[in-house]
Amino acid sequence: MGRRTATTRTAALLAAMTLSLAACAESDDGGGGGGGGSAEETGPIKIGAVLDITGAGASLGVPERQALELLAGQLEEEGGIDGREVELIIEDNQSTEDGAAKAMNKLVNEDEVDIVLGASRTGPSLAMRPIAESTETPMISLAANQAIVEGSEWVFKTAQNDRVVIERMIDYMAEQGWSTIGLARDASGFGEGVAEMFDEIGAEQGISVVATEKFAPDATDFTAQMVNLRNAGADVNVIWGIPPAAGLAQRAYDQLGIETPVMQSHGIGNQVFLDTAGDAAEGMVAPLGRLVVAEQLPDDDPQKEIITTFIDDYTAEFGAGPSTFSGHAYDAWQLAVDALREEGTDPQAIRDHLESVTDFTGISGVFTMTPEDHAGLSKEALALVTVENGQWQLVPDQGD
Amino acid sequence: MAGRPVRRLPRIGAHSRRSRRGDVIGIAVVALLMLALPLIASSSVINVGVYALIYALAALGLSLLMGLAGQVSLGQAGFFAIGAYTQAVLVTKYEWSGLPASVLAVAVTMLAALLVGLPLLRLRGHYLALATLGFGVIVTVLATESDFLGATSGIYGITKPEMNGRTYNSPTEYYLLLVPVVLLGLWLARNIVESRIGRALGAVNDSEVAAESLGVDAFRLRVQVFVLSAAYASVAGTAFAHWLGVINPNAANFPLSVKFLLMAVLGGVGSVYGAVVGAFAVEGLDDGLRRLIPELLPGAVGEVQLIGFGILLTTIMIFLPGGLHQLWTGARRRMAGSAPEPGDDEEEIHLEPVADDVPLLAREGRPAAGTPLLEVRGLTKRFGGVTAVDDFDLTVSAGEIVALIGPNGAGKTTAFNMISGAVTPTAGEVTMAGTRVEGRKPHVFARAGATRTFQNLQIFTSATVLGNVMVGRHLRSRSGMLGAALVLPARREERAVEESARELLDLLGLGEDADRLAADLPFGRQRLVEIARALALDPDLLLLDEPMAGLSGTERRELARLLRRLRAGGMAIVLVEHDVEAVLALADRVAVLEDGVRIALGTPDEVRHDPAVVAAYLGVEPEDGAAAAVAEAGAP
Amino acid sequence: MTDLLQLLFAGLSQGAVYALVAIGFVAIFTVSGVINLAQGEFAALAGLVAISAVGSGLPLLAAVVLAVVSVALVAVIMERLVIFPVKRMTTLVSLILTLGVSTGLKALMLLVYGPNAEGLTPLTPGGFSVAGVSIRYQELWILLIAGIVSLAVYWFYERTLAGKSLRACAEQPVAARLVGISLTKASLISFLIAGTVGAIAGVLASPIFFTSWESGLTLGLKGFVAATLGGLISVRGAVLGGLLLGVLETLTAGYISTGLRDAVAFLLLIIVLVARPAGIFGRSAEARV
Repeated sequence: MGRRTATTRTAALLAAMTLSLAACAESDDGGGGGGGGSAEETGPIKIGAVLDITGAGASLGVPERQALELLAGQLEEEGGIDGREVELIIEDNQSTEDGAAKAMNKLVNEDEVDIVLGASRTGPSLAMRPIAESTETPMISLAANQAIVEGSEWVFKTAQNDRVVIERMIDYMAEQGWSTIGLARDASGFGEGVAEMFDEIGAEQGISVVATEKFAPDATDFTAQMVNLRNAGADVNVIWGIPPAAGLAQRAYDQLGIETPVMQSHGIGNQVFLDTAGDAAEGMVAPLGRLVVAEQLPDDDPQKEIITTFIDDYTAEFGAGPSTFSGHAYDAWQLAVDALREEGTDPQAIRDHLESVTDFTGISGVFTMTPEDHAGLSKEALALVTVENGQWQLVPDQGD
Repeated sequence: MAGRPVRRLPRIGAHSRRSRRGDVIGIAVVALLMLALPLIASSSVINVGVYALIYALAALGLSLLMGLAGQVSLGQAGFFAIGAYTQAVLVTKYEWSGLPASVLAVAVTMLAALLVGLPLLRLRGHYLALATLGFGVIVTVLATESDFLGATSGIYGITKPEMNGRTYNSPTEYYLLLVPVVLLGLWLARNIVESRIGRALGAVNDSEVAAESLGVDAFRLRVQVFVLSAAYASVAGTAFAHWLGVINPNAANFPLSVKFLLMAVLGGVGSVYGAVVGAFAVEGLDDGLRRLIPELLPGAVGEVQLIGFGILLTTIMIFLPGGLHQLWTGARRRMAGSAPEPGDDEEEIHLEPVADDVPLLAREGRPAAGTPLLEVRGLTKRFGGVTAVDDFDLTVSAGEIVALIGPNGAGKTTAFNMISGAVTPTAGEVTMAGTRVEGRKPHVFARAGATRTFQNLQIFTSATVLGNVMVGRHLRSRSGMLGAALVLPARREERAVEESARELLDLLGLGEDADRLAADLPFGRQRLVEIARALALDPDLLLLDEPMAGLSGTERRELARLLRRLRAGGMAIVLVEHDVEAVLALADRVAVLEDGVRIALGTPDEVRHDPAVVAAYLGVEPEDGAAAAVAEAGAP
Repeated sequence: MTDLLQLLFAGLSQGAVYALVAIGFVAIFTVSGVINLAQGEFAALAGLVAISAVGSGLPLLAAVVLAVVSVALVAVIMERLVIFPVKRMTTLVSLILTLGVSTGLKALMLLVYGPNAEGLTPLTPGGFSVAGVSIRYQELWILLIAGIVSLAVYWFYERTLAGKSLRACAEQPVAARLVGISLTKASLISFLIAGTVGAIAGVLASPIFFTSWESGLTLGLKGFVAATLGGLISVRGAVLGGLLLGVLETLTAGYISTGLRDAVAFLLLIIVLVARPAGIFGRSAEARV
């Protein structure tokens, strides 16, 4: 036995040495390619995506994935970018921050992607941001919270900033003559800092938050929060979350018979919300992207054509219409492809290109990025929408 | 190679030299594979390897807890998170550098584990497992609710570690940074498993009451292992925080605790290197299934790899409860060829023929013959409405044999249990060599210089004979967890303990069986092992609960001779015995119990002629052997 | 006052669901000493089966029956495949086995039903309001059916020969064997009961609390806490434990903080385990050696 072990050891040692030599050689190659500033112009272009496909953000991540797959398919039929194949690598972050960081590490270190799209929600996006910054990888988040791009160099986003959403909502409240807000917000990254922002933006019109309740993104019982909102007696109540929680909260609100008008955030633009909220959604008002009310848009709306084409393609592929979230994914993909087409795969060039995007018409609005604004949308990107007979409906008086 | 005697699988607490080597070989193989990985694997595999190494540390801690202390924790991720959060706070908010921060992080986690463990470890089995699960959930909730810890978003921007101007940024670099940490963890764990502490815990696992009776403070050791296990988790947590760059409440989540459990179980609970193998297997499987399942089943999204975990967990538990470790040892055994186990035949105990009165195990400092050692006053135990033992008094002095007899159900064993601390009396007091011991744990009794054997054997079944006896030396050795982990101070003491244990075994004619698994011995010899184990404590007082039961005639005679020689050496012996004839021949004094009441106490001669005793024995069924014996003995 | 009533009512209907899950824990634990960590998955699975059956056009009642029967079957199969073959069931083994089943079932549900949370159609949609307390008809159904099921299970254990034999297995395994009660059969029946009751909990809860592939985890854990509050071996204790937990959670959420809701359950669990292992409602038992 002793001898055998010795032999095995020698063999293992030899093998290890050979392999280490090979590995060294390999890493030299890799080092040369990655280290040089100019990217090689061969092989497939890699676009990574980190989405909330399972877990609390599934109702966002799944349509986003579908949109990306649809667009990647279309691009492939067109023959890629300048004849180069485009490979889309989608990772699920399970709606968790660490899952997102893990997936981001993998995409950057292992797949060596040229650009990353995602994540679907704020928390996971915030978790990916430092990795994007430290590895100098361009990243386009699909999530809302402005913190994702505040002061960022390499990170951009396509969903409307919550700041512009709140500006839109405050405008509407002021017009309706409401001055106190009862807020029930998502307890995760999406809802963090929202109450403060309402207070800040509403200060001018004398609008402020008088009660704040929280709910977990996977909560199912909202009685306690809604009872407390009822007691707060504000002029308007705001539910700030994503489906299904936002829908369930809407139901609990209705079920408790609260008469106060209710507004929701831009986080609810999908069928899941309509399904979970059911009749309870009738009459609530939310600022959403134009996607959900495409056919009600006037023909001269600059977005109308893009939106209807996307809706038709998407419906043909998946048998159901897209949500605003698939719209965020669409915009991110188009921005990425545009940059890749113009600049190739040099990360710095891609970043610079993204930062200088002007009047880029997308699903969620018309993007104009600046070094200070990596989100690129103003409050005009949002339409006030309500629900009538289970369908999205433009609020006739848009308040501007 | 063939023909060499092959012994049982190395197990925790099994202390043959082979078992040590077994672990060393396992660890060496794992270490080699770990080091070789970066040379042969692609970067994607190394990326998986980084997580495997991180989780391996936490799983290793859990494996120690389960293997050594026999306790299941479903809250290991809670400690993982405490370590990670502490590290994150220190690094990002107070700008500590990584290394000192991690030292404090581990210390904080250990303190938390101590505070959690003190109340929780009084629970057992299911209850402990579920209470730890609750602990994990509470950590998650607290982290979620704390704005200081960044609420649900957690803490961002933890940098990759930098040392000597080098940033450990890529998976390979981080992997190579972690390998020595894991190896160190393995080495420390192995040392503890093979130490006095590991042996004692293994004994507690097999029979807590027996281990306690040999002076092992089970609760204290459990708390120690629990804290140690948390320390491992916290090291993993700090490594995790730096690698991900973000830490949030999910780190304390139940599914992560389950993952640790899976790793420990897959590798083989208690096998030190198994946790590392398990971690690599689980992480590899996780990654593999994540890729494979969506290909097999288009449209499958998310954590579908869990299905593999579920199936794996159940099949392993049913078919391979020892995990991969079991496969490995099995394979090694087959490689070595199967040799017959050494003589399984019923050998009679043969001591050197020496006179009955040659003192055995006399030692300096033993109380002089006739000094009162054990004082029992008014000892009473009621179970509900039944009084099992009523106002029992007894004094036992050094150098005498006292027998406790009585019909079945007379309360003899209950009295024993109360005296030795296993059962708390309803009333009364027990003083052993000046220490009040009633209602305290058996290890207190043992510390006072007294121990016992058990009517229904309480052999440490997973240890060798030698291992059993070495547990008996627990109080005669001192090295603690730290000394054990660092090996050097403990090694000399270990050797001395083994030597004295072997001497004792030779003395009792068990020398040949020293390296056999105690559970494999025939019944009579197991009794003798139990007595040898008790003697290893070097007690001044020995309580024997039916030591003759199940022994052959020769074995009984040999045992009687042994007891006489111990008496000659100055030891006090109290025995409960059914074999009245043997007792009357052996004891200096005899106490008789009936229905919990002491109805007689005196020399064998006095008791033999005591009318109450005769009545008690004749009052029961006439066929009763004991009654016949008294009657016979009383009417020569 | 209205708030308190509203919260109490919400807590009771939530608690009734916990109570049913808790009965499942008790049923299995009393017979074989196994804590079935897959108990919550029984409920989730029933909810999903019913939802998809309704989705494919089955009438609601038929869908509910189908869900309960198929989950009961799953429970029985689980017992045969996973619990029965194990000769020496230790704490570690039983926890890991049931954890394995729970994990596998979860992933299976994810594969089959996808990641989204959905709600079953309520037995009676809508609701009404009494003295400012709004009540959904479904909540009344939950309370009513949970009450009937609890009574039925209680009656089974206390009044029928079969039920008494099952309890005998738990309390006096040797004696039970002597009088011819087979432990393996008893274990099978206990899983059948646990599966059925868990499934009923799942279909009742689904219209209000929604069901997804992972909703079994929380439900199972809360059900376990409820069972432990009741001492783990008493159906009555489990029901009271469930109701108490539900009410306590809603009150905590309403008056203290919604974030602490889950912590309360587990804090209570730890306190009860350490201070009163026999449960809040159980008779305090002599500590075993």
